[in-house]
Amino acid sequence: MGLRAKIDKILANILICIMALMVINVLWQVFSRYLMGSPSSFTDELARYLMIWVGILGAAYVSGKKGHVAIDVFLRKLSPVPQKRLRLFIDLLISLFSLTALVIGGGRLVYITYVLEQYSPAMQLPLAVVYAVIPVSGVLIIYYKIYDMINN
Amino acid sequence: NQQKKARTIKLAHTLDVSHSVHKAMVKMGEDLEQLSGGKMKIEIYPNQQLGSERECLELLQIGSLGMTKVSVGTLENFAPGMRVLGLPFLFRDREHAFKVLDGPIGQELLNEGEQYWLKGLGYYDAGCRSFYTKERPVNKPGDLEGLKIRVMESVTAMDMVRSLGGSPTPISWGELYTSLQQGVVDGAENNPPSFYLSRHYEVCKYYSLDEHTLLPDVLVIGTHLWERLTPQEQAWLKQAVDNSVKYQRKLWAVSEAEALEMVQKAGVEIIRPDKEPFSKKVEGIYEAYKNYPELYKIIQEIQETR
Amino acid sequence: MEYLPVLVLVSSFLALLAMGAPVAWSIAISALLTMLVSIPALPAFTTVSQRIGTGLDSFALLAIPFFILSGELMNKGGIAHRLIAFAKTLVGSLPGGLALINVISAMLMGAIAGSAMASASAMGSILGPEMEKEGYSKEFGAAVNITSATTGLIIPPSNILIVYSLASGGASIAALFLAGYIPGILTGLFLMIVALVWARKKNYNVGKRSSLREVFSTFVDALPSLLLLIIVIGGIVAGIFTATEASAIAVLYTLLLGAFYKELTLAGLPEILLKSASTTAVVMLLIGASMCMSWVMSYENIPQDISSGLLSISDNKIIILLIINLLLLFVGVFMDMTPAVLIFTPIFLPVVTKLGIDPVHFGIIMILNLCIGLCTPPVGSVLFVGVGIAKTTIEKVIKPLMPLFLAMILALLLITYFPQLSLWLPGLFDL
Ligand code: NA
Ligand code: NA
Repeated sequence: MGLRAKIDKILANILICIMALMVINVLWQVFSRYLMGSPSSFTDELARYLMIWVGILGAAYVSGKKGHVAIDVFLRKLSPVPQKRLRLFIDLLISLFSLTALVIGGGRLVYITYVLEQYSPAMQLPLAVVYAVIPVSGVLIIYYKIYDMINN
Repeated sequence: NQQKKARTIKLAHTLDVSHSVHKAMVKMGEDLEQLSGGKMKIEIYPNQQLGSERECLELLQIGSLGMTKVSVGTLENFAPGMRVLGLPFLFRDREHAFKVLDGPIGQELLNEGEQYWLKGLGYYDAGCRSFYTKERPVNKPGDLEGLKIRVMESVTAMDMVRSLGGSPTPISWGELYTSLQQGVVDGAENNPPSFYLSRHYEVCKYYSLDEHTLLPDVLVIGTHLWERLTPQEQAWLKQAVDNSVKYQRKLWAVSEAEALEMVQKAGVEIIRPDKEPFSKKVEGIYEAYKNYPELYKIIQEIQETR
Repeated sequence: MEYLPVLVLVSSFLALLAMGAPVAWSIAISALLTMLVSIPALPAFTTVSQRIGTGLDSFALLAIPFFILSGELMNKGGIAHRLIAFAKTLVGSLPGGLALINVISAMLMGAIAGSAMASASAMGSILGPEMEKEGYSKEFGAAVNITSATTGLIIPPSNILIVYSLASGGASIAALFLAGYIPGILTGLFLMIVALVWARKKNYNVGKRSSLREVFSTFVDALPSLLLLIIVIGGIVAGIFTATEASAIAVLYTLLLGAFYKELTLAGLPEILLKSASTTAVVMLLIGASMCMSWVMSYENIPQDISSGLLSISDNKIIILLIINLLLLFVGVFMDMTPAVLIFTPIFLPVVTKLGIDPVHFGIIMILNLCIGLCTPPVGSVLFVGVGIAKTTIEKVIKPLMPLFLAMILALLLITYFPQLSLWLPGLFDL
């Protein structure tokens, strides 16, 4: 298995686990309220953080599969060579955005919440852990885009 | 060039423009412009336009926003010392509270935020929080038994409701109306103007003024911005803040009386229970603070303030 | 007014879209470029990340992945077939029967969930494949699904009406909820008429009339599936769980039912979960990026500048309402609903109340109007969900969307100029 296939596989497995965990978590929220008599205070928060992870990590996975919605009427009307160049340019822009906003910006966000010791209110989970998914996804997106740029 | 272009501070908050805090902020902007001879201005973003309280605090740390206003309940997640102010029945009355807040203890807590890149500038009055319920009135702590009470995402608030016998349920403020209506929670707690403006009184017909917490609002500036201001600019801003805080506390008293009158007109039964049994029930929370000597010292100092 | 931020925002965004860059990235990149006009680079980069992250930090949004998942499970678990077989015996003999079922189900679903995206994802995954099998074009099915999903935002319960109440400084939520029924149903009826006419024109399958026995036997078959609606509606109405929790219950129920029908296996679950996660991610990146764009627009005061300029034109009630409607339609094209409501309510409400318009009535106008925006590119969350689930493209659904937009605009005009449609019901209850 090549590196890309491996990364795909790992990402897919993580997404499957998070998705399953999300369902179990919210069901637990309902049942704990009725069966245990006391509402669980961490489930709401955990659910939201899992969704941030599924959304942003999933965005990287979908980028690898070229699954994000685009309006490419104009693009597809071009002849092959300029079309290829334009696609290359778009991939370059997305990589640049991922590098600046997601990797550098997201990394700084993780750093800030880490050094300033920010914890989530209910679970007392470091917020840096929650936000860490942003730079990680940024790196993955850059990897996918560079891979595509080289192999096309 | 720097002299010609006015320094504009971006200030975001989550309240409506009709709220006393917003009006006091508008006054702060006017005062600042006048004090600085037009060299400084404040641009206000109300109504959660730039994000929730927690998000605005993060934006101060990030450096893309200058100032914000948050409840102590939110700030305690960033600056842990603030947690003591959220303790139930900490203050004897409002006079005691503002004596503490405007005195050395309150100022120290404002400055504590600096190590988290958030400098507190002053305390706005946000009144006392009390329980409102849907099915039955709360006359004594026992009446909370078995009731699911919505609380803020705050450890102290959850502990308090649990100590009083209720089940604390954190639900976002925006989803609370339908949650009350559908019975996902049986009640909530807030100050009179919020109870009135959120229209929760349409669902909850009992308002028990046990006044368990006096949670002030805090005006916060990011240290990114604060440190870039000249000492003169800092002084102008401090002055404008002080004026604004005084003005807001007057407005608050009026809006609180108005809110109580309006909810009563709408058929809400207002109950003034004996606070003693409530404050007895939460003593355990104070005990737990003995494990944090620094915080416990502040609590004692507050209680000893006369 | 500063022109540079607007110029950067609009030009970079349109350029990226025209190049064929994915919409979510186009939104995010142009938002970043606009921030760079007035925020230093490092804080701007960090703010983008923070807005995308916190944009997804909402318990209410969770209904989306759950309804996507339960829809997927209904498909694979043999539940959808049984439901649709039953529905077909009921209205299948009308032209466009399945499309009509879609609109009615969306209205029902909206009356439960209060989230248009959840409704679009659920109905899209349940009914979409069925419609395709019956020979409907994918795009027509998606268009009907997308537009009808928004009726659930006006039919109560509706979290967006609560947001409006807060932004308006206290319009009665009870009154707003009651006010939503007639406009929501009216809009649904208009959409059904368009679907009916379109289906007749395209000669879509008109089934034969079913005998009473067929109706009964398909009903018994579908009963366990119909029970889901009762569990979900009943659970919410009885206060057993919130709308978001109901979506998780729906996942559990469809899972158990699918296992009972022996159409779902444990080995098949990972694939279903992954597919749902991918669909969710497409939607979530768009939401996160839209939140980022909305934030920078507020930061640069772009909405306020636009509206103050336009409102200096007239003080005639009919004209002002027309202008505001046009403006809101324009806003809805580019902006997500919640920030739009929070930003424009305080700007427009004082103007319209001065002209004697009831705040409750204006709330309905505003939400219905922004509902149209949810279905238009470039920023349209319900459109994205609908298109994503139908596996088609935005440009292909535009054509079938056009007549449906017209129906929605017609409903909007009626509701704007006949306040009784909104205010009669709350009036009955003295609200
Ligand atoms: Na609804
Ligand atoms: Na739109």
